[in-house]
Amino acid sequence: MIPSLDLLLALAFGNLGLMLLAGRNPTAGLLSMILYALQGWVLVMLMPALAEGAASGLAFQVFGWSLSWELNGLGWFFAIITVGAAFFSAWFAAGAWGVQGTRSPWAFHVTLAANVAAMLLLLASRDLLTLFIGWELVTWAGYAMMIQSGGPATRAAYKYLIYGVAGGLAVLAAVVLIQVQAGGLGFAAVAAWMPGISTGMLWALMLLLGVGFGIKMAFLPFHRWQAEAYGESPGPAAAFLGAISSRMGLFGLLILLVHFIGLARLDELLLPLIGLDARILWMWLSALTIIIPTFIALKQNDARMLLAWHGIGQGGYMLLGVLVGSELGVAGGLLHVFNYATYQAVLFLVMGAVVYRTGTAHLDRLGGLITRMPLSYVAMLFAIIGLAGLPPMNGFVSKWMVYKALLDEGLPLLFVAAVIGTLGTILSVFKLIHNVFLGQLRVEHEQIREVPFSMWGPMIALSLIVFITGYMPGLALDLVMVAQTSLGFAALDYHLGGFVTDTGNLNMLAVVSVLLLGMGIGAGIFLLGGNKSKRVHQLDNYAGGHFLTTEVRYHYSHHFYAGLLRLIGPWYITLIKRLEGGIAALTDTLAAGSDGLYRTAYTPILMLAATVLGLALVL
Amino acid sequence: MNQQNFPVQVAPLESCREPGPEERSMLRKVLDRVGQYCQSRSLFVLHYCTGCGAIELPPSMTSRFDLERVGMQPMVTPRQADILLITGYLSVKTLKRVILTYEQMQSPKYVMGFGSCTINGGMYWNSYATVKRLGDYIPVDTYIAGCMPRPEAIQQGFLDLIERIDGGRAVAWKDYYRNYDRYLGHQQHLFGRDWLTPTDVVGEAAHYRLAGDGTLGPHTALLDQYAGYHQAWGVPREQYAELEASS
Repeated sequence: MIPSLDLLLALAFGNLGLMLLAGRNPTAGLLSMILYALQGWVLVMLMPALAEGAASGLAFQVFGWSLSWELNGLGWFFAIITVGAAFFSAWFAAGAWGVQGTRSPWAFHVTLAANVAAMLLLLASRDLLTLFIGWELVTWAGYAMMIQSGGPATRAAYKYLIYGVAGGLAVLAAVVLIQVQAGGLGFAAVAAWMPGISTGMLWALMLLLGVGFGIKMAFLPFHRWQAEAYGESPGPAAAFLGAISSRMGLFGLLILLVHFIGLARLDELLLPLIGLDARILWMWLSALTIIIPTFIALKQNDARMLLAWHGIGQGGYMLLGVLVGSELGVAGGLLHVFNYATYQAVLFLVMGAVVYRTGTAHLDRLGGLITRMPLSYVAMLFAIIGLAGLPPMNGFVSKWMVYKALLDEGLPLLFVAAVIGTLGTILSVFKLIHNVFLGQLRVEHEQIREVPFSMWGPMIALSLIVFITGYMPGLALDLVMVAQTSLGFAALDYHLGGFVTDTGNLNMLAVVSVLLLGMGIGAGIFLLGGNKSKRVHQLDNYAGGHFLTTEVRYHYSHHFYAGLLRLIGPWYITLIKRLEGGIAALTDTLAAGSDGLYRTAYTPILMLAATVLGLALVL
Repeated sequence: MNQQNFPVQVAPLESCREPGPEERSMLRKVLDRVGQYCQSRSLFVLHYCTGCGAIELPPSMTSRFDLERVGMQPMVTPRQADILLITGYLSVKTLKRVILTYEQMQSPKYVMGFGSCTINGGMYWNSYATVKRLGDYIPVDTYIAGCMPRPEAIQQGFLDLIERIDGGRAVAWKDYYRNYDRYLGHQQHLFGRDWLTPTDVVGEAAHYRLAGDGTLGPHTALLDQYAGYHQAWGVPREQYAELEASS
């Protein structure tokens, strides 16, 4: 087998067919894991060929349009994360979860395979037509994946579909416009045509494509579909969707903003009256995408919703980093795509495991699970440190790079906005781990046990990746540089432990080593100095002399951060919700009006109106 | 009904003989000396002020008499506290809380009885609901007599305790482990046979190597019997009476 894009797509679609036939078989999970591993191997083998582009031999002629695919560095970077996320999700579903955790393992395996195949097709697009085909496939595959659980998931997925189809139509409109104006749809041709077009045309294209891609990425103000749709998906499906699915939108935005328009052209695009340029506009929208969803996440009472809202917020860091435009910023933004995928997958998998054991993800109805599910706890601990962006995990490195790039380029206000987002993240991940794993164990959870290996295996493996790529970010930067150079930016000067720039450097090998050394000294004093600790019973706890019983809930979890929310509560305005409601009401009214026009309105009046209009036109 | 099984019994317990102060090695003596000095200069006090007398503490702790000069500070939890200061009378109800709090403190721990009431019931001697002698229920290191003692007396009491800790003579807490059965017997006499705290004193006695001949006895045997069926864990009173009858 010679690794090529054809082989990759054959494996992906072969997997889809195999799952359609044999998805009910107990070994289906293992089988798809092997196929995802093979796809990963093909992608790694393709790495040297990326410089000139790995083209597919597959080509169609449809109605005079030629369709063909080619994988470049940017698509390859996203593809490797896609396949990795699919591998770990399939692993999670391969064992006990597939038997007891879901109504239909067949549906899960088929939709996962369909998503991967559609995404690979999208990522390998070389012109706008194949991009549009991939785009629609991804939208529908995502919809199929979200409706698995039924009930509220169906409703959330339907909302996603409405957003997704609207986005798809916007992309289609842009594709038609470009075809009419430019006469070609190849990426290179469009990029060559772009510099010559008028400012109005550019705004129109940016609006259409930006809305289309932005919806998939849940970019503000099109973010309201995502949390529900991802949160209601079953554990490993949410892990896959949360880790990579909405990054397809980022992929599209990168092609639009960096490849087609170019950051320099964005700087020249001034907004009327205000005097800001388009790049700053995008950056502030990214910053708001960080802050607003993150603080909505803080309020959530369902752990999966909390994570899904964070997924929206973290997307802002990625685009913000890339839009800075310096080597450091672009590397930071792209590295965040990778890092975020690793820890978000862990978090959703852990919550999938908790739901599998306890039947709920409600943050008021859990607590104290650390004594029953210690491995899940460790996995979540690693992942939340990553999500919060603290050393020694990988989330720190990418966020640090984005911060530093913002400061280096003289954008302190955006830096402050990014840090405010991080503050909200730290607060809500503490709420997450506190309400789920720490505190009082509930009586009804006394008997539960750790999940089996098929479920903790992927969680622990991914959390080790979170740690290792935090300790040695150079490993992940190897992948990032492929995408960065493919986007046309200069490569960052990096090494195994971090990066070097003119204004400073970061060496995580040193940072983490010092941290581990300090922890080692503390552990040494504790363990070698005659560890005199003694375990006490959970109810042997001080409550002002009160005798604690299992009936008394002393695990403070309901209405978390009451004081903070009293302060910032009034800031949670539901503007976007009202806007959405307004658009829906307007559409409703127009639909009812036209409906009435056709059905119930008196024909003579219509005739009269038509006559009057016709006369007015003629005379 | 939620049955809570606390590890009450740790079997078998060995009696340990404490080496005499003169039997230690020279190095050990020096280390102990340094340790005692440091310990006596850094004491956290947990106040249990349900009776009267709490009003004497603010002047003792704040700028007028300033106990922080000698390394004492108020502390809010028993786990981190060294001294349990009990002011004034104790009713039967509050004594339960005091014992729970005392058992939750980490050794070495010291108890100060403040005011006449802790010594002999004081002016509440005739009350049916008031404990007469605190020392019957938990070991007390120092009493401060008076009704009420002034801040000077409190200060003197603390200095006295500091001196005793420094000299290695404040060892009342060891007595609780060595003669737990006797203390528990007094407690059961007052609270009933089913008296139970969620702490594990017998296990701690083994942990600190302080188990003695008086650690286990007829009273600790009752702990096992009632471990799962205490009213504190939500058993209705009627059910509890049945259990009582059956035992």
